Amino acid sequence: MVNLTIDDKQVTAPKTATIYDAAKLNGIKIPILCHDKKLKPFGACRMCLVEVEQMKGRQIPACTTPVTEGMIIRTSTPDIVKARKMVLELLLLNHPIDCPVCDKAGDCDLQNLTYEYKVDANRFTDEKFHLEIDYTNPLIERDMNRCVLCGKCARICDEIVSFGALTFIDRGIETKIGCEFEEALNCEFCGSCVSVCPVGSLLARPFKFKARFWSLTKQKSVCGYCGTGCNLTLGVKDNKVLTTIYDENQGFHNGQLCVRGRFGYQFINSDKRLTKPLIRKNQNLVEVGWDEALEVVAGRLRDSGAASAALATARLTNEELLLFKQLMESVGSNNYDHSAGYAHAALTEGFAGSFGISASPSTILDIQKSDLLLVIKTDAYETHPVVGFEINMAVKNKGVQLKILSDKTGKLSKLPDAKTLVHTPGSEIAIINSLAKVIIDNKLGDASAVSLPGYADLEKSLADFTPEAVSAQCGLSADDIKLLASDYAKAEKALILFPVGQAYPGHTAALANAVANLALLAGKLGKEGSGVLCLSEKNNSQGAVDMGFHAAGGGLNAGQILDGCATGSIKTLLIAGENPLVSYPDHAKVKAALDKVEFLVVSEMFMTETAAMADVVLPVCSFAEKEGTFTATDRRVQHIKPAIKKIGQSRSDFEIFGSLIAKMGGVSSAAPAVVFAEIAASTPGYESMSYVSLGDEGLFASVDVKPVFVVPQTSAAKAESGKLALVTGSVLYHNGTLSQYGEGPMHVCPEGYVELSRADAAAMKFVENDLLTISSANGSMKLKARITPRMPQGVVFAPYHFGANPVNQVWNGAPVTWVTLAK
Amino acid sequence: MSEAVAQQATEQEPVIDLSLANKIIDKYIDMPGNLMPVLQGAQDEYGYIPRVVADLIAERLNVYPSQIYGVLTFYAQFHLKPRGKFIIRVCVGTACHVQGAPRIVESFFDKLHIGHAETSPDLRYTFEKVACLGACGMAPLAMVNDATYGAMTVQKVSEIVADYNQRPMK
Repeated sequence: MVNLTIDDKQVTAPKTATIYDAAKLNGIKIPILCHDKKLKPFGACRMCLVEVEQMKGRQIPACTTPVTEGMIIRTSTPDIVKARKMVLELLLLNHPIDCPVCDKAGDCDLQNLTYEYKVDANRFTDEKFHLEIDYTNPLIERDMNRCVLCGKCARICDEIVSFGALTFIDRGIETKIGCEFEEALNCEFCGSCVSVCPVGSLLARPFKFKARFWSLTKQKSVCGYCGTGCNLTLGVKDNKVLTTIYDENQGFHNGQLCVRGRFGYQFINSDKRLTKPLIRKNQNLVEVGWDEALEVVAGRLRDSGAASAALATARLTNEELLLFKQLMESVGSNNYDHSAGYAHAALTEGFAGSFGISASPSTILDIQKSDLLLVIKTDAYETHPVVGFEINMAVKNKGVQLKILSDKTGKLSKLPDAKTLVHTPGSEIAIINSLAKVIIDNKLGDASAVSLPGYADLEKSLADFTPEAVSAQCGLSADDIKLLASDYAKAEKALILFPVGQAYPGHTAALANAVANLALLAGKLGKEGSGVLCLSEKNNSQGAVDMGFHAAGGGLNAGQILDGCATGSIKTLLIAGENPLVSYPDHAKVKAALDKVEFLVVSEMFMTETAAMADVVLPVCSFAEKEGTFTATDRRVQHIKPAIKKIGQSRSDFEIFGSLIAKMGGVSSAAPAVVFAEIAASTPGYESMSYVSLGDEGLFASVDVKPVFVVPQTSAAKAESGKLALVTGSVLYHNGTLSQYGEGPMHVCPEGYVELSRADAAAMKFVENDLLTISSANGSMKLKARITPRMPQGVVFAPYHFGANPVNQVWNGAPVTWVTLAK
Repeated sequence: MSEAVAQQATEQEPVIDLSLANKIIDKYIDMPGNLMPVLQGAQDEYGYIPRVVADLIAERLNVYPSQIYGVLTFYAQFHLKPRGKFIIRVCVGTACHVQGAPRIVESFFDKLHIGHAETSPDLRYTFEKVACLGACGMAPLAMVNDATYGAMTVQKVSEIVADYNQRPMK
């Protein structure tokens, strides 16, 4: 710590702090335009000028000057105030004074500072800029006439997002911010640039002319898309969520969001929301009252008893999932599951076997504390973009080594010194096993691993996984495998990350076991910045596992439930928020099952493809309208409160399940808080949690790891000659099927596509946007071609989110589907 | 998405032999701080930096295309459009100005019909006004590529243009 004096106040600050940091830390405000706590100091705006006595009263920028012992600093002498006024005069010389029509007004740093420094006249005159405003994309408006050239947008896009869409163009007075060759913005549309813009140069178009900033109520919440568990601040007016508001102090991610979190909120107040219960009468779904709808559902459940089953989305709160489970148990059925079963098997079977817990031992906070990250599939960036930002920052700012095992390259591959080993699709487990084999054979690992249960069996099972043998089937060289194994083993702290989800059927329990074995052999567990982290797909995937909402104790899993529907052994199926027709493998099979089941109840926000087949549709509310808890992928339990009143007559799943339990003769719980108390009392790791103790930041559920070696079950994928390997996955702009109802993601990525390599495209004479027929043993469908350098020859990729043309028409749930393409 | 745009842009460009750029990139690929030498080498090869070449450099050096564009627009030495075979520079610095540089500029315009930083459609000439070529004793001064012409007059402009009109383009 360093002692210094700021404005006659004795203060201390860390050695690494700048004068600006030291002042802020001690409650002294220094005005600034070009600073964000997540970004490196830049010193562009000259608003933060201060005087340092030791520097002979020169005016120096506080944001780039490190503190030194005994510094005497004055932040607002008459000279400084005069200088700042002049900086503002110069900025206002070119900045248009169009505040009445600027959406930034009220939240604008330049406006606020102009007011604070009473700049009511300008001694200079000059023309304003007349640059064209970029309205070419539906999400971000760029008006460079208002720009003050602080560079925050270009810096955040480079330092954190690592996309680099924006840069300084030209020099001197001509300087402006723009894209390559002054083209329209064409990026990930995460809106990070919008969030840090101190003026109205970069604005969220969906919010344009919606409300003045000061009329918004700010409601804290948790993002309802992926499992990262990002915190959100929703801007609410007249019971509508109109925007998301940036708060640099919110969450582990410091307010950083992806395109879904920032621009995907529109589904909350969508016109398409269901507002009244519907019952099928004479083939048509007609509006009815809640009493009638619930009575019909309760009657059916009573009749079906053990022949009832439930599928839920992992977007429900923990409280709702527990009630749903209790409802099914009160009916006498233990057939309930979520996310197609396999999507969470890495936790419920994989880690449960290897670690004795159905959760990841590591957290997202470990990423930046690690020495080496081993990411399985570059898709980890697309599935969990904010985790991707953490990886970007770890690699770029902290020099963390990044190794990637993937069936294609991706954005993560472009990070400095990132090593991507592109293997043939479906060979992940064999490669991980081979890494383990190298570690054992070369004694690179932790000597104490030998004493863990299952070591002998594991060693025996790995006999066939020599790098040479695996090299032949995975397309990597034996040397690459050996080098990766030794890099991984030698790193003091190493973290393995892999995404799971409905589009990643290859990321199974066996992969989780293989990964766990590798980490155990190398002694990477139980250290900060080290271990394994499974990135689960939905905002409450981990919660659904913790609540035990999956096939256990003899109940049927998701696949078996649908089989039961098809054979008639399941008579009543309750679906809460899932859209299996789109997201489960094998469209035809799911459709046949849902057609066949006697009675189908769907509780949904929207008339999804699945809801349209139901006998009863119950309108439910979004995360912004209810109270409960979500458990993020790294076990962080967070509390959400209603930001708006429920839309129409919609009810929360909590109320619906409560009412049904009451109708079945049980006791319905009064409030989510009561159910959470029950959860805290009965769920390992949740002990001592309550809504009060969760606070704004949430709490991590504790884990008690009991490691054992489990031999992973492997089956080698058989290649079919003359065909292409189709791998499914998530696209950055979407998560599950919900994001289809968020206008933002749909503006940027409205439909599915098939991505293929330049070599394959050239060989088959396809060009960008050709409509291709893609055929597998399962069926065929048409998708637009997208030709990119990231796909290896012979491998094609298709995202799975789109209801209008779901990829499950050709995909039957295999990790690799063999397909042919034709124009 | 950006890749898709790059593909479309590729089709609009005139045919550019990318093997020349690839050779330059190969030479510097493992050198830290290789962006400037690669861009300079490419400019020497093509006379300017075509869009496809910028995209290729971005992809192969793993640099953001925007960053390349930032560098290209920051330094006056880089050009984004094809340049003439003969670059005519007329000094308009103080010494040349008082010695009548504006008249020299005018008469080049009368002969070639191109103004500052413009290139003739046949790609024979590019005309530039520059502020001081560092030989004020020879004012008013003009240069054509590396050849210097001191004590310029309107008459000499005609002679120079007549001379370079005769020279071969290849």
